[in-house]
Amino acid sequence: MTTTPAISIRGLIKNFGSTRALDSLNLEVNQGEVHGFLGPNGAGKSTTIRVLLGLLHADAGTVEVMGGDPWKDAVALHRRLAYVPGDVELWPNLTGGEAIDVFARLRGKLDRTRRNELCERFDLDPTKKARTYSKGNRQKVALISALASDVELLLLDEPTAGLDPLMEVVFQQAIREVKDAGTTVLLSSHILSQVEVLADRISIVRQGSVVETGSLDELRHMTRTTVIAETDHPAPHLAQLSGVHDFTEQEGKVQFQLDGDSFDEAMQSLTPLGIRSLVAHPPTLEQLLMRHYGDAATGAEEAPR
Amino acid sequence: MTTTTRSPRHRKPAVARASRLVGTGTMIRLALRRDRFRLPAWIAAHGLLVVYIGSALPQLAPTKEDLAGISSLLSQPVGRMFTGPAFGMDDVTYERFFAAGYVPYLFILAALMNIMLVIRHTRKEEQTGRAELIRASVTGRHTALTAALIVALLANIAAAALVIVLAVMLEYALVGSMLVGFATGLTGLAFAGVAAITAQLSEFSRSATGMAGAVLGVAFVLRALGDMVAVGGSALSWASPLGWAAQTAPYVEDRWIPLVLLAGFAAVTITAGFVLQRRRDFGASLIPPRPGPAHAAASLGHPLGLAYRLQRGGMLGWGSAILILGVINGLFTQAMLDAGEDMPPQLSAVFGSEQLLDGYVGFLGGFTGIFIAAYVVYAMQTLKSEEDAGRADTVLATAVSRMGWLSTHVVVIALGSVVITAVTGLSTGLGAATVTGEWELVGSLFLAHFAVVAAPLTVLGLCAALFGLVPRVVAPVGWLLVALIGIVELFGDLLDLPEWLRTLSPLWHLASVPVEGFETMPMMVLLGATLVLLAVGLAAFRRRQVNVV
Repeated sequence: MTTTPAISIRGLIKNFGSTRALDSLNLEVNQGEVHGFLGPNGAGKSTTIRVLLGLLHADAGTVEVMGGDPWKDAVALHRRLAYVPGDVELWPNLTGGEAIDVFARLRGKLDRTRRNELCERFDLDPTKKARTYSKGNRQKVALISALASDVELLLLDEPTAGLDPLMEVVFQQAIREVKDAGTTVLLSSHILSQVEVLADRISIVRQGSVVETGSLDELRHMTRTTVIAETDHPAPHLAQLSGVHDFTEQEGKVQFQLDGDSFDEAMQSLTPLGIRSLVAHPPTLEQLLMRHYGDAATGAEEAPR
Repeated sequence: MTTTTRSPRHRKPAVARASRLVGTGTMIRLALRRDRFRLPAWIAAHGLLVVYIGSALPQLAPTKEDLAGISSLLSQPVGRMFTGPAFGMDDVTYERFFAAGYVPYLFILAALMNIMLVIRHTRKEEQTGRAELIRASVTGRHTALTAALIVALLANIAAAALVIVLAVMLEYALVGSMLVGFATGLTGLAFAGVAAITAQLSEFSRSATGMAGAVLGVAFVLRALGDMVAVGGSALSWASPLGWAAQTAPYVEDRWIPLVLLAGFAAVTITAGFVLQRRRDFGASLIPPRPGPAHAAASLGHPLGLAYRLQRGGMLGWGSAILILGVINGLFTQAMLDAGEDMPPQLSAVFGSEQLLDGYVGFLGGFTGIFIAAYVVYAMQTLKSEEDAGRADTVLATAVSRMGWLSTHVVVIALGSVVITAVTGLSTGLGAATVTGEWELVGSLFLAHFAVVAAPLTVLGLCAALFGLVPRVVAPVGWLLVALIGIVELFGDLLDLPEWLRTLSPLWHLASVPVEGFETMPMMVLLGATLVLLAVGLAAFRRRQVNVV
């Protein structure tokens, strides 16, 4: 609490022509935490990150990165941070290995051992020219370069968009390692489950402003699980339990939303009824936003880039 | 029953062959739809060249005597090198002047259109992965190439028809105009065939385009050398597809035989393209890509090193092309002097001197200056691509400042221009000295080149300023300025261009050494302007946002 936050944004407004991309956005990321930056496509995540990098100028509001102004102190701040764009573009005639080194050295120091180790772990052939790389491989280049740099802050814009599930696991391990080393991570994503695994705190952005922020526990009310159960005997009394919401019953099938801390109680009530089938799945981001903010939260938003 | 049991044995191969072409009709429509602006623009450019020359010639030379006066521009060996065999210049007419001086550029235009068209619809599609979706649907192995070649054929027919109609409308002879049109279309098709081959050779569309472009370059050089030997060309001219097209001698000899050679060349190259395509996997190339270094060289860790590496390809490409052109021009000095006796006044207007040798030396300096300016605009354009592709974002997100990023690129390009100019000046001088035996030409040609280097640097300053202020106009304004510099330098006196137009060309302000004495003042003014423009560009780039959509 006493230390300066790694990122502090207050009332950030950014317009592109007549469209308002960011509308009084507030965001605070504490030092050493992994902060999930969650929102549908086109909500303003990339724009926010590009303001944090000083590539875009804020139209209004205050933006601080590690205590500095990202527009004025860009170079000094960039020595202390690494960025992985959502759409990694590399120079077609440089190899992946060269690109990794270039980015890391331009930032400052490159940890060569760690770089080689990460190439192994991410299963990347650094001798191939970048134009032969798939999207996933280009993503790996930017990720390895960022993770092999000795920095205090990582700005990751949908960093795993092109990675397969196996690489996703490698990525999660790597993020845990840098977190243990004290690095702050801003992790943007449009997939809740991805962020849930890693993030200490989450901010949900929608139509250019943050609508919800807090730890996973604090957002518990948002992370209700959908349960669908088929039982031998009817189960109307479940609706009375405190953690159960939106209860419906149809032809021996019950469906309800369940708060994360009410599982035990609900299952104990269900078991005596003779469970024939049970399906439980966490809410998607789209469901969350739809439930809390109505239809306008999803679908209607167009991606600005 | 009996018919069905008998037929499969006969039908099977036919079906298999046809299946390689399934979906061609759809692919043609897709290609035409995607190129609905680009292709008409290319074809219109053919027509525009005809109309422009057709209407400009009577303005430039109102009488037959005027035309005869400037026709020696084309029949001189230098003229023949740049244009063609110069048929019928002893009894020149507008149509013959058009055929000798400008039709060769129709051929090159057609070749470029076809190279880009075929590569765009074949290798480019494979490289980006879009073709994978196409090939995964009901299309055959040869569908994309066939469709591309048919679109090329259609474009060539349209271009040829347009050229013929417009030429006839200019009251040029029908047979000659038809030869011009057919030669243009068939040259196009011949290079579509070349591109069909190079598309199989490399995994990357840029290398495939480059290889086809190199074939065009070799064809141009062979024709240029062959035509320099004698009016009407020599055996060497017949070694080049561009030479065949020119050997139709429209409006003079009206030969049809060279068209057969062009058609045969097209047939052979297109067949070879299909044969090669059958021997490779989808997305693969016949020339396998080699692995590169796993680690970056130490120099790449600095913005200057990175800028050099990114600019190196363009610098080497432009540099070697300018150097080769310079050396050819240098080697040509003696032939120039030999032909000097009957030089018409119009030629001395181009060279700006009665003293042929001095005029030629000064001319070569300015000539190189035009191409260096073109290189500068090309190089500055790459910065815009870096920004648009998002690669500048990633670099600027490291500890590289805006100033550092832009200034290192500018420094590399500036040094590149100076080095290319100096090396070209020296090599041109050595070439000229070798053929004439006058070794002081090395010094004077070097000085002639050195005297103009401030002009491309001013262009660099302007491009940098525009990049900071309004990045989207860097290319249009830059290329317009290059065109202006070229026109003022090459045709300023000939066309009697107005003073104000000439002052817009930085090259015009510099003394043409050795015709005029070297002057420090204009050079200092231009260099000063360059520095101011650079400062403006750097300051503006620091203030503006990066890669805003």
